[in-house]
Amino acid sequence: MILETACPERGTWRAWLDHEENDPRLDAHLETCSTCTHLVGELREAAAVANRALSSLGVARHPSADETALARERFAWRQRQTAAIPDVQKPAAGRRRAPAFVSHIPTPWRIAASGMAAAMALSVLVGFTDVGRTAAAAFLSQFRSQQVAAIEVSPQSQTEIMKALGALGNLGTLKTAAGANARPGVVPPLPQPRSVSLVEASQQVGFPLQTPDPKTLPAGIDPTPQVQVIAPTELRYTFDKSKASSYLRSNGHANVDLPDKFDGATLVVSTPAAALLQYSAKDSRDALLIGQSGELVVSVEGKVTLDELRDFLLSLPGLPKETTDQLRLIRNWNETLPIPIPTDKYNWKSERFNGGQGLLLNDNTGIGSAAIWQSGGHLYGVAGSLKANDLKRVADSLAVR
Amino acid sequence: MATLTEMTETVPAPADRFETLFGRFYPELYAVVYRVLGERMASEDIVQDAFLKLNDDAELQRKPDVEVGAWLRRVALNLAFNRLRGERRARARLERVGRLETGTDEAADTPAILMLRVEEQVEVRRALAEVPERQRECLLLRHSGYSYAEIAATLGLAVGSVGVLLARAEQAFRATYRRQSP
Repeated sequence: MILETACPERGTWRAWLDHEENDPRLDAHLETCSTCTHLVGELREAAAVANRALSSLGVARHPSADETALARERFAWRQRQTAAIPDVQKPAAGRRRAPAFVSHIPTPWRIAASGMAAAMALSVLVGFTDVGRTAAAAFLSQFRSQQVAAIEVSPQSQTEIMKALGALGNLGTLKTAAGANARPGVVPPLPQPRSVSLVEASQQVGFPLQTPDPKTLPAGIDPTPQVQVIAPTELRYTFDKSKASSYLRSNGHANVDLPDKFDGATLVVSTPAAALLQYSAKDSRDALLIGQSGELVVSVEGKVTLDELRDFLLSLPGLPKETTDQLRLIRNWNETLPIPIPTDKYNWKSERFNGGQGLLLNDNTGIGSAAIWQSGGHLYGVAGSLKANDLKRVADSLAVR
Repeated sequence: MATLTEMTETVPAPADRFETLFGRFYPELYAVVYRVLGERMASEDIVQDAFLKLNDDAELQRKPDVEVGAWLRRVALNLAFNRLRGERRARARLERVGRLETGTDEAADTPAILMLRVEEQVEVRRALAEVPERQRECLLLRHSGYSYAEIAATLGLAVGSVGVLLARAEQAFRATYRRQSP
C-alpha cells in the first residue's frame, strides 16, 4: 500500500516494473524521490540480468501440437502399464521401488526398450509383406527373429501406429499366457524380474550369459552387476469376426471386411526368458544396462495363411503409409525383427557389434546411447548414459567369462 | 497468461476434461521444467509424473483451469527440484548438461558460439542452485512469462507478496551470477 508520506516497498516497485502495479501515485512519487529512483534503477538492472541469463535456459520452442499429442499417447501407455501391474506387485510407500525391469529408466528409454515388445506387433506385419510372399512357402506360419532392422517413425506416425494397434482391441482379444486379458496396442506388463546370480540367470535363459570386459566400463561404474531374469511370456491374439465387423461398421470402415476364416484365428507371440544386467554408479542405479535373450517367435494357429493376415493387417485403417512402406522394404522379412525408432528422440546407424549386425542409437541430447543386435540366435541390447563410442566398446567386449 | 474469465469460471468435469488439461498445460509445463533440468527426457518424465498425479484426482480436475494449472506447476516444480536435490548430484548434472546439451536451434551455430552458450547455461544453473528454493521458483516462473496472480497461485502466496519475493530472488541471483562470472 502506498502512503502519501512514506516510500513504497521494494516489492511494490518490482511489481510496478512489471506493470502489475499501476497506481498513478507511484509515478508521481518517483519523480520527486531520489531514493526510490535509485532503488528502481537497481531493481531494473537485477531483473534485466536475471532475464538475460534465464532466457539462455529456455527451450528453443514449445512442444508442437503433434509432439503434445505424442506425449499424450506416451502418457496413456505409461498409465496403462502402471494400471496393469497388480497391486500386490506395486511398491509400498516409503519402500525402495520394486525392481520392475525398466521402471526407473527415463520414459523414452523405456519406450525404446519396449520397442522390443512393439516390434512383436510390427513383426506380424513384416511377416505379411510382399517381399516375404515367396519365402512364406518355407516359413508358412512362423517368424523367428535372427537379425534386426530399423523402422523410422516420426512423432505423427508414432501416434497413428499406437492408435491403429490400439484399435486391434476391437477386432479380437489379446491374452497373456496366464489367461489375463490385455489390450492390443498396449504392451502388456513384463513379468516381474527376479534377482539371481549370473550362473542361475544363464540356466534360466538357456545359454551362457556374456559380460563386458571391466576395463571398458566408464570410471565410476561398479563392475559387479545386479542380475535379474524375466520369465518367458506368450501373448495370444485371437480374431473375433463379429466384434471386428461391428467395430469397423461403427467407424465408417464398412468396406474393410474380416473374412470368415479369420474368426478364431490366433497369432501367438512367444518371448523367451531374458536376463538384465544392471550396472550402477554413485549417482545412478542404471548407469549401464545389458539385456540378453533368446529369439522371438511368432506363429499362427487357425485356418488363415500369412498372406491373408498380411493383406488384412496392412489394410487396417490408420496405419501410416511411411511405416508400412519401410516394412515392405525389409529383406528376409521372416527373420528380421523391426525396431521402431522415434526420429524425434533418436538418431541411428547400422553397426556391427561383437560379430553381429545391429543398430546403434543415440538420443538427440547426446547424453544416452543404446545398441541392439542379434548374434548366434540370441538378442543383445546395451543402453546407458554413455557416449556412443564408449557404449560400443562395452558392447564389443561382451564375452562369456 | 490466464484471463479474468478463466480465473473465475467454474468448470464441469466432462469425460474429456483430462484431455483438455493435458493439451493446454503440457507445452508450458514442459518449458518450465526444461529450464530447471535442461534435459528433454527428464523433463518429459517429470511432466508426465505431474499429470499422473492429476489423473488420480478427479475432484481436482473439476476445478477451474487456473487452479489446476497452478497445482500442476507446483507439483512439476517440486518434482523437478526433488530430482536435482543433493549437492553432488546437482553439480554432476549441471556439468553433464553443460557439456552435452544441444538445443534444436543450435545446430546452425558455429562451434564457438555453441560453446559459449553451453558455458553460459552452466553458469546460470550454478547461480540458480544457490538461490533459496522459494525465490528460485518465483524467479523461474516469472522469467517463464507467468503473471503475478499465476505465480501467487502456484506458490501459495498473496499476490501482493510476489513482487518482494521476486526482487529478493533477482538480487540473490545477480550476486551469485556475478561472483561466478565477473
